[in-house]
Amino acid sequence: MAVDRRFVLKGMVLGGAAGLVLSRAVPVLGNVPPSHGDIRPTLALVGSGAVESAFLEGAAAAAGTHLRVRQLERDLDFMLDFERQLRAGPMRLIGLLDDASAGLLLDLARSAGARVQWLGQHTVEGGSTRHRVLNTDLAEGCSRQLSRQLHACGAGFTLYEERQGSAAPSRQLAAPAHRGAHTAQWAAGVGYLLAALGSRPTGVQPILAQSAPASGSFVSFSIES
Amino acid sequence: MSEEKSGVLPRGVTQEQFDAAVNKFRVLLGEENVLVKAEQLLPYNKIMMSVENATHAPSAALTATTVEQVQGIVKICNQHRIPIWTISTGRNFGYGSAAPVQRGQVILDLKKMNKIIKIDPEMCTALVEPGVTFQQLYDYIQENNLPLMLSFSAPSAIAGPLGNTMDRGVGYTPYGEHFMMQCGMEVVLANGDVYRTGMGGVKGSNTWQIFKWGYGPTLDGMFTQSNYGITTKMGFWLMPKPPVFKPFEVIFENEEDIVEIVDLLRPLRMSGTIPNSVVIASTLWEAGSAHLRRSNYLTEPGHTPDSVIKQMQKDTGMGAWNLYAALYGTQEQVDANWKIVSDAFKKLGKGRIVTQEEAGHKQPFKYRAELMSGVPNLQEFGLYNWRGGGGSMWFAPVSEARGSECKKQATLAKRILHKYGLDYVAEFIVAPRDMHHVIDVLYNRSDAEETKRADACFNELLDEFEKEGYAVYRVNTRFQERVARSYGPVKRDLEHAIKRALDPNNILAPGRSGIDLDTYQKS
Repeated sequence: MAVDRRFVLKGMVLGGAAGLVLSRAVPVLGNVPPSHGDIRPTLALVGSGAVESAFLEGAAAAAGTHLRVRQLERDLDFMLDFERQLRAGPMRLIGLLDDASAGLLLDLARSAGARVQWLGQHTVEGGSTRHRVLNTDLAEGCSRQLSRQLHACGAGFTLYEERQGSAAPSRQLAAPAHRGAHTAQWAAGVGYLLAALGSRPTGVQPILAQSAPASGSFVSFSIES
Repeated sequence: MSEEKSGVLPRGVTQEQFDAAVNKFRVLLGEENVLVKAEQLLPYNKIMMSVENATHAPSAALTATTVEQVQGIVKICNQHRIPIWTISTGRNFGYGSAAPVQRGQVILDLKKMNKIIKIDPEMCTALVEPGVTFQQLYDYIQENNLPLMLSFSAPSAIAGPLGNTMDRGVGYTPYGEHFMMQCGMEVVLANGDVYRTGMGGVKGSNTWQIFKWGYGPTLDGMFTQSNYGITTKMGFWLMPKPPVFKPFEVIFENEEDIVEIVDLLRPLRMSGTIPNSVVIASTLWEAGSAHLRRSNYLTEPGHTPDSVIKQMQKDTGMGAWNLYAALYGTQEQVDANWKIVSDAFKKLGKGRIVTQEEAGHKQPFKYRAELMSGVPNLQEFGLYNWRGGGGSMWFAPVSEARGSECKKQATLAKRILHKYGLDYVAEFIVAPRDMHHVIDVLYNRSDAEETKRADACFNELLDEFEKEGYAVYRVNTRFQERVARSYGPVKRDLEHAIKRALDPNNILAPGRSGIDLDTYQKS
């Protein structure tokens, strides 16, 4: 980690920041020229649970009717079938899964020759969240955007970003908790960002109703074949 | 154009040299087989080790489809001093995934060389290319109704025999020591020569997959866990499918039982009464494999206390140690051996025997029985959800198959892991005389502090085990140089002398197993 590039949000002016981020569509997400605001057809692969539902809400807000959803099954046939679909392509896939399933899926994506723009490791624990992201230039700006969303959620967080192939040092963003219990809002933010990656979303990122804190470990990804 | 450059270069290679090499690779392999964009390389850079991904970032990845292309790649690498890191299927999860040992190395991905060249159902042999997976072989055997059985490691379906054997991996059947079952390799050397081991050099020979040794020095072993060549074909022996297969589990309540378990098993393994690579899994290995999560029991940081593990045992019926073995053969053979085995456990007076009939489809019995009978599955990936967070490093010291030694290693490992707030998640894989004591050091990579702890823990495991005369048989790419030092200077000098002779330009995976002409200094 490059300490000299550490960007600490601790001192961020809070006035209106949350409302601003959560109620406004993001202009362009990612380092790709927008093509008339089109969202590409996207398949979202998720497990079951409140956090995954939040991810889907966020993704749906960005992709609208372009989003199809598939529920993860953990058996061998499902995984091998998925690899075949990736090979057959073209396919744009985003998702939020458990560590084991995501580890498998990412490896199958590699052997299928797919491209990966974003790989995020997320942990929710003790009222705060940790995020470790490996991404590409195509996701430029997404981590900073996510950090603003996380800050707006009110829960403390750390976000560590590595850029694949970049000579630049990794970046860490962090902020302490500043209000109430967190929700799964971070997952909605990730879903929104990934569904909108490289395009100009027309929807508005949803603000989730308060829910009981959800803990656990999750992996987000954006894959194209 | 930024899209065409990964931003990472091999050590000591200028951008101009690299670009020149990439252009030649494109001519040789075609544009689609030369990957330099970040989004193409990112999936090769997903690591589970306790360092930043950048430390193991590749500069490019190549896919080849023929031996001639591999020869061409080697030629270009020699011209431009480009180091290459070869993978077959790249499923080396806790031992380093697909990422290269050093930042900037060009990955040579042989996934497209995936032909099953030959399976001989009478001689029970196979000859395959590097990209062949166990699932491919399984499907072939099923579709052709061949009376053969595979042996594979736990990632089974998606891993392959060549890569696993070249890394000296093990499986769970009577053919579980995979390198022992290997017979004949084809290797592209750094000078472009194609060398066939054993009988492979004899024109017209039909015994390449039959007789290992050939004539004169037998060199197969030196191409495993090394960087002396690129293996493009490998032969191996397949086990005839037995008419009867009887898997069973024996559940032991207490950690201290490991001494008696191992001392009881050793003669049964040596005599061949129990012929397969037996597994003795700890509670937490068992729990992860059954897709339990630590958070079901505990949300506090640190290691899982023994009291919680005892509660898990009580709730689930798992033991402190869970032994999985199987009998193979005719009904008469299995019946006779079952009597010997079950009598031995009854005489011990400890351990609850569970048969397949009693276990039904319950996990983890089901996947263990499948692994012992050559049926692929992905069940054991559940381990990665035990703590969550994507960190996994396999610490795998070798032990004598002697109860007191296993207990000593287990106690030492547990003490060190707990000191660093991590869990002892382990299994012993039992050969007649040795044990592979495989410990999955699981940690959360999204937590920088925990990642540092895991790194320190792994170092201390290596150091403390070495003080007791123990060493690992295999390790992830983060620690290969460190582990090479455990085996002494004479071995390292010899390995580098061989490297200088075979690969003077140091183009083949420098750093693999600590062999690197650029950095090694003779003691």
